[in-house]
Amino acid sequence: MNGNTNYLKKYIKRYKKEFFIALTFLILEAMGDLIQPTIMSKIIDNGVKNKDMDYVFKLGKLMFLVTGLGAISAVIRNIVSSKVSQNFGADLREDLYIKIQSLSFENIDRFQDATLITRLTNDVNQIQNFAHGMMRVFVKAPVLGIGAIVMTFLLDIKMGFILLGIVPVVGIAILINLRISYPIFTRIQRALDKVNGVMREYLAGIRVVKAFNRFDYEESRFEGVNDNLRDVSLKGMRIVALFNPIVALIVNMGIVLILWVGGLRVNSGSLEVGKIMAFINYMTRLLFSFVMSTRILNMYIRAKASAERIGEVFNTENIIYTKERPLPFKDIRGKLEFNHVYFKYHDNSKYVLEDISFSVESGETLAIIGSTGSGKSTLINLIPRFYDPTKGIIKIDGIDIKDVDLHELRENIAIVPQKTLLFTGSIKENIKWGDENATQDEVEKVAKISKAHDFILSFNEGYDSYLGQGGVNLSGGQKQRIAIARALLKKPKILILDDSTSAVDMITEKEIRKGLKDYLKDTTTILIAQRITSVMDADKILVMDGGRIVGIGNHSELIDNSQVYRDIYRSQMGRGLEYIGS
Amino acid sequence: MDPRRKRTPAGISGGRRAIMPVEKAKDIRYTLNRLWDFFKKEKIGLFTTFLLVLVSGVLGLLVPFFIGKAIDVIFPGPNLVEFGRLKLVLTLLLFVYILDGVITFLQEYIVAGIAQKVVHDIRKSLFSKLQSLPIVFFDTHTHGELMSRLTNDVDNISNTISQSTVQFMASVVNIIGSLIMMIRLSGLMTIASLITVPMVYFLTKTIAKKTKILFKEQQEALGLLNGHIEETIGGIHVVKAFNKEDKVVDEFIRQNHILKEIGVKAQIWSGFIMPLMNAINNFGFAIIAIFGGTLAVKDKISVGIITSFIFYSKQFTKPLNELASTFNTLQSGIAGAERVFELLDEEEERKDAEGAIPAIDIKGEVEFKSVSFQYEPDEPVLNNISFKVEPGTNVALVGATGAGKTTIVNLLTGFYEIEKGEILIDGINIKDYQKDSLRKIFGMVLQDTYLFSGTIEENIRYGRLDATYEEIEEAAKMSKAHDFISRLPMGYDTLLSEGGINLSQGQRQLIAISRAILANPSILILDEATSSVDTRTELKIQEAMAELMKGRTTFIIAHRLSTIREADIIMVIDNGQIVEKGNHSELIDKKGKYYNLYMSQFMNIGEVV
Repeated sequence: MNGNTNYLKKYIKRYKKEFFIALTFLILEAMGDLIQPTIMSKIIDNGVKNKDMDYVFKLGKLMFLVTGLGAISAVIRNIVSSKVSQNFGADLREDLYIKIQSLSFENIDRFQDATLITRLTNDVNQIQNFAHGMMRVFVKAPVLGIGAIVMTFLLDIKMGFILLGIVPVVGIAILINLRISYPIFTRIQRALDKVNGVMREYLAGIRVVKAFNRFDYEESRFEGVNDNLRDVSLKGMRIVALFNPIVALIVNMGIVLILWVGGLRVNSGSLEVGKIMAFINYMTRLLFSFVMSTRILNMYIRAKASAERIGEVFNTENIIYTKERPLPFKDIRGKLEFNHVYFKYHDNSKYVLEDISFSVESGETLAIIGSTGSGKSTLINLIPRFYDPTKGIIKIDGIDIKDVDLHELRENIAIVPQKTLLFTGSIKENIKWGDENATQDEVEKVAKISKAHDFILSFNEGYDSYLGQGGVNLSGGQKQRIAIARALLKKPKILILDDSTSAVDMITEKEIRKGLKDYLKDTTTILIAQRITSVMDADKILVMDGGRIVGIGNHSELIDNSQVYRDIYRSQMGRGLEYIGS
Repeated sequence: MDPRRKRTPAGISGGRRAIMPVEKAKDIRYTLNRLWDFFKKEKIGLFTTFLLVLVSGVLGLLVPFFIGKAIDVIFPGPNLVEFGRLKLVLTLLLFVYILDGVITFLQEYIVAGIAQKVVHDIRKSLFSKLQSLPIVFFDTHTHGELMSRLTNDVDNISNTISQSTVQFMASVVNIIGSLIMMIRLSGLMTIASLITVPMVYFLTKTIAKKTKILFKEQQEALGLLNGHIEETIGGIHVVKAFNKEDKVVDEFIRQNHILKEIGVKAQIWSGFIMPLMNAINNFGFAIIAIFGGTLAVKDKISVGIITSFIFYSKQFTKPLNELASTFNTLQSGIAGAERVFELLDEEEERKDAEGAIPAIDIKGEVEFKSVSFQYEPDEPVLNNISFKVEPGTNVALVGATGAGKTTIVNLLTGFYEIEKGEILIDGINIKDYQKDSLRKIFGMVLQDTYLFSGTIEENIRYGRLDATYEEIEEAAKMSKAHDFISRLPMGYDTLLSEGGINLSQGQRQLIAISRAILANPSILILDEATSSVDTRTELKIQEAMAELMKGRTTFIIAHRLSTIREADIIMVIDNGQIVEKGNHSELIDKKGKYYNLYMSQFMNIGEVV
């Protein structure tokens, strides 16, 4: 996938001015820090040496002034940088969210929901933090490091070279550390993943473990990965423990060197003692800058990976869109036609649907039956253009669905998906997804048809009962019934029920189907079902197997001429046929 | 300068944790006691670490002293520097630096060891604990929640507790040590350099008060926004199907805006700490310069002492400033530990009763005597269930989702503990059997077949560890799984990925049946699949199940008419009670609940035939 990060340019342009203001104040702040030791050395070398009290106070006042200016810069910088980073993060999140909402299903499938969510939360956060860090310490650290060296050179060229000489030595130490610790951390991560994997599997299979009394086996399996994690981490952490003392030691040797060379130079009269104090001070700032730089590098690597992951989403081309001049699509009747439709998910994968042709008249019910993976759900996903066929044409009222406005097309179709999904909010709000302007009476009417009305009223708050995320406080069957009400409220011309009564008990299911029949006189209904009893009274039944239609007709026709249909029937009803018939 | 103090990531932590408010631990003393149980094995290491921290603290205090001394030697100026003394002082300084480096390394080396070993042990006892928890526990806790305790919280313990304890000790040594050194060098200078301490205290206190509220609000706003994201992206199919993209985008923009507004405030307030602290430090530096300069002009102190003070005041104030954040980290670590211990304190499965007998040669007679069960008080799932079945009977449990079928099975197998009533197998209360042996008499084929990562052979062998390869193959042949297994390129050695996802639902079920056949149980529990697998496999599964059921007491959670009708006894469960019991023709004649159920589902068969 294309992880180009060019999209960031837009934001850089938008916040360029504020960003540079923040940086300017940040540099002022750093300069304040850097001037202090030099003023200090002047106090010692001119004030104390010459017993000049006025000079001490004069420069002392200057130090306060510099401190004050530094503090003011820091405050301004903090306000600007906080605003910029939060605004930037919010903008990026918003744009990404809008982009995701506009993606076609094919794209969403490729990314998967979970990664889209982490991109929107974690990755955006990562970049936002980096942007903020840049205006806080990331720029300050190198400024302080370089500034310390420059200041030393300004005070004394020869001593400057000692500081400058330390830089490559520490640099090499840091590089070696990165080279060593990076693979170690990947190894630790892998060991940790294994522990988590075993754990996750254990939790998922807990019943099997208990049923077969396999505690010892699981214990030893876990022990294996857990021991491995300990050993790998131990080795890694111990190697890493060597690094910090080494860097510190190098810098500290520099301090000893400064004192020794400084002593020689003071003795020969070419250096003042106050400057030595300043040098030592600059040395410690250099160390701080080093420590910070490695951390910045890590942050940068992480932020870059995040930026690329977000870039992948932004750079995704949407393939499903409305034609430029769509045909009018008003007052349709709902006659549906598939014309030699083929479909595959990827260019080089197998066809999931092959040569699908059928038609349903307005107001008819079409049932689709077939085993898992036979292509039933894929087939219905083509109708609202969640996916476009690879080959072939789908027509509604004789119009190719690619030629009409996407929004209008979906306005005329309602789906009750296999996996019921309700949203946070009241039950009423959820049903009203079907029609924002519906009255309470209309809402109740559809709820009655879907057999949801009674249990909704049994809640204290009735239709205003609040559903938590995903509607967790309802049973599966109750959720399905609300989802059906939601779809009915839309008064669709085509209603698609994708195995949407699987958790409803058989008697209620029967009643719902009866209610639907009356309510949906003019609506074309497409119904996917697992139970053969659910499809038997449809006007037309499609039997699917391996992506093809292997039987089409009503129940009695199929019993006569479709082997697959008879197989399904036999597997579900056993000898029911003969029994009742006799 | 000692680099160790620089190691705390001041304000630059990645991810969501950066904007989390500090978590408070509930009962610190208790938790620390519990933690000590894990740490005490490492007593020697801990003691050594403590000694090393002390030594390194003292060495750290010697550094400014020697630097000050060196400056004093140099100060007299041209031709007056005593090189003999300078050499001595610098040699000592170098020695201190090297020693400090070695000790720092040793200390980190040991701490890393302790932390990893302790975490390993905690993880191990957590896992053992999981093994002894009842199924109800797993049914009432999400996997995500448990995983987070087993990973995040445990890691948190390792990182925070070991590291911040060391840091805490070092801080204390530094604060006390540098204070002593400062007072020894100059009382007046000490007072001057401590002026900044109350300033820092006041600053952090004011900001902390403000940010605490803001962070909480931010966390709430973030939670709402994340909830919205998860819902609308996880449910994007529905959003698109209902043309509601604009609606959810508008809502997103609204919540994102709220988050941003709070975020800016929280960021600004928390962002003040670092630079203002820096400013206060610079202020302190200036005070030392002026005050020290004045005293030095009056010959009250030497320039070397000023140098030493610059270092000491840093060594004093820096750990003091960090004490609060170290303590917070420690607290969040302890809070994590608390969650871990909560899990370790969960009530375990019932232990075997005294004198429990092994369940061997079980014939398979099952009796429920007035059994009731509930998860939540006053919400009975099963209400006063009684029945008795003879060995070898096929029992079909029929009823709507949530009627209580699964609960009956879970009680029988001992997954759930009975609250009222008793269950007898071969006339003996199941509580009087040894639990391990009791479980062995059951074979289960559940709807959501769980296979472990490993080969197919290993998965079947799970039924009986000491089975030979021939026996495994024999079991697979009986369950009709052999055909498809031998058609796989690697046959029985085919590796299944986590969750066994590379096999079809039906194939997985066939393997699970093979596993059950191999275990040769006395009582069978079958949960019929509601989702149809492909028709040919489905027929095979039914044949295999029929094979498995021969001569065994079987409880089937049934969905298919064929299975139900062929059962010896049908129990119709409704609202936690057995409302009807009998064979198919008896119940049809009765024209009750079963008759209605049957007719509602199958009535149009008559029309067709």
